[in-house]
Amino acid sequence: MPHQCTNCGHVFPDGSKEMLSGCPDCGGNKFQFKQGSVDDVTDAADDPSDSQPAADRPADSPDTTSAAPESTGETATGESSSPAADSTSSPDPQTADSPPTTADPGSTGEPTDSSTADASDAELMDSNRTQDGESPAQSTARSDVVSDDELPDAPPSESQSPTPDESRDSSTDPDTPADETASAGLDQLRQELNDQFESIRIVSPGQYELNLMELYDRNEYIISLREDGRYVIEVPDGWGADEPN
Amino acid sequence: MGLLTNLKDSVSRVTDRLFASDDPKRIGIYGPPNAGKTTLANRIARDWTGDAIGPESHVPHETRRARRKEGVDIERNGRSVTIDIVDTPGVATKVDYKEFLDHDIEKDDAIRRSREATEGVAEAMHWLREDVDGVIYVLDSTTDPFTQVNTMLIGIIESRDLPVLIFANKIDLDEADIKRVADAFPQHETVPLSALEGDNMDEVYDKIAEYFG
Repeated sequence: MPHQCTNCGHVFPDGSKEMLSGCPDCGGNKFQFKQGSVDDVTDAADDPSDSQPAADRPADSPDTTSAAPESTGETATGESSSPAADSTSSPDPQTADSPPTTADPGSTGEPTDSSTADASDAELMDSNRTQDGESPAQSTARSDVVSDDELPDAPPSESQSPTPDESRDSSTDPDTPADETASAGLDQLRQELNDQFESIRIVSPGQYELNLMELYDRNEYIISLREDGRYVIEVPDGWGADEPN
Repeated sequence: MGLLTNLKDSVSRVTDRLFASDDPKRIGIYGPPNAGKTTLANRIARDWTGDAIGPESHVPHETRRARRKEGVDIERNGRSVTIDIVDTPGVATKVDYKEFLDHDIEKDDAIRRSREATEGVAEAMHWLREDVDGVIYVLDSTTDPFTQVNTMLIGIIESRDLPVLIFANKIDLDEADIKRVADAFPQHETVPLSALEGDNMDEVYDKIAEYFG
C-alpha cells in the first residue's frame, strides 16, 4: 500500500524504501497509508488540502511510521510481517493504526499498549526524536535494511541499544519476538527435544529412544530401567544429604 | 585463517589447563557404538600398564557400563603424563534389540542387552556432565561422521569447553576416509589411527600428552 507524507503530500509507491530516510521533498517523517492505486494517490497528493488535515491527526503518525520496516519486506521476521498483513487488509488504513503499532517488534521499546496508542504516541515519538530529527521507529526501520557498519554516523545503534536488553527482560514472554542469538537457538532446540520426550522413551520392550540432551542436563543419574517405565536413579549428593566435604 | 585461529585457541586453552593442576586428568573415550572405543582403551592400557580395560567385540553396545583405568602413565619426550581413562558405552539416540539378533543372540538376551545399552548411554552422558576433564572422541573412519549423535556430543563437549581430540579409527580398512572425518569437525584436531593394528600410535600418544597431560 502506498504511503504519503503528511506534511507535503509526497507519495511513495508500495514497498518504497525512500521514505525510510525521510521525505525527500520536505524532510518530514510522518507518513500515512493511502488507499487505492499509486496513480489515484498521486492525483490526490497534487491537492495539498487532502493531505494537510491528515497531519493534524496524530494517531496516523505512529501507524505509518512504524509501518516503515514492514514495507521493506526484506529482513522482516515472521512475527513482524504479520502485523503488516493486518494493516494492509484493513478496510480503512487510516483508522487501523493501533494494531500495527502494538505488534511491531522493531519499535524500539516504546509503550505498545493499544489503549495508549493514540495521541500519546505522537507526543512520545516527538520526545524521542534524535538530534537528526529522526524518530526511533524510523531508525529501527533503517537498521533493518542496512547494517550499522554502513551507517557510521547514524543514530540507530544508539536508539536501538535498549532493544536487546528489553528482549532479555521480556524473554519469559513467549509472544515476545526476541533477537535470536546462537545460544537462544540452542536453547530452543533443546526445548524442542525435551518436549518430544523426557529422557528415555520405551517404544516397546527392548526398543528405546533416548533424548541425549535431557540425559546430559538432568542432575540425577539413571542407573537402571524397568520395562514398566520406571527408572532407578541415583540421587545427587546435594539432595537432602550432607554436602560432601 | 579461521581454522588456524581456532586451532591456536584450542592449543592455548589446552596449555592453560596443562599448568592448572598436577592431578591426573580424567579422559573420557566417547563415540558412537562400534567405533573402536574399547579397542583403543585396551591398546592404551596394555601399552602403558599391561592390563586391559574390557572385552572387545564386533557386536554393538558390547560396553554397557563405563569402565575406568586410573593412573595410566604415558611417557613422551622425556617426561611422564598421568591420565585416568574412562571407556564409555557407545552413545546412540535409538537402541533396538533387533540389531543384536543379527549376531546370533537370542531375543530375550537381546532385549536385556538393549536395556543395558540404554542404561549405558545414560551413564555415558552422566559422566560427560560430571566426571571428565577431557574427551577422546573416537569415530569409525569408514562411516559417515555427519550424524546427529556426533554433532550433538561434540556440541556438548564444546559447550563445556573441554579439550577434545578426534580419533579417526580403523584406518587399516580400505574404506577408511580420514579426510571426511577431519572435514566434519575442522575446529578440532583429527588423529588417524588403527587401534586394532596399532597404527600411528606414536602420534596418538604425542597428542594425548599434549592435550591432556
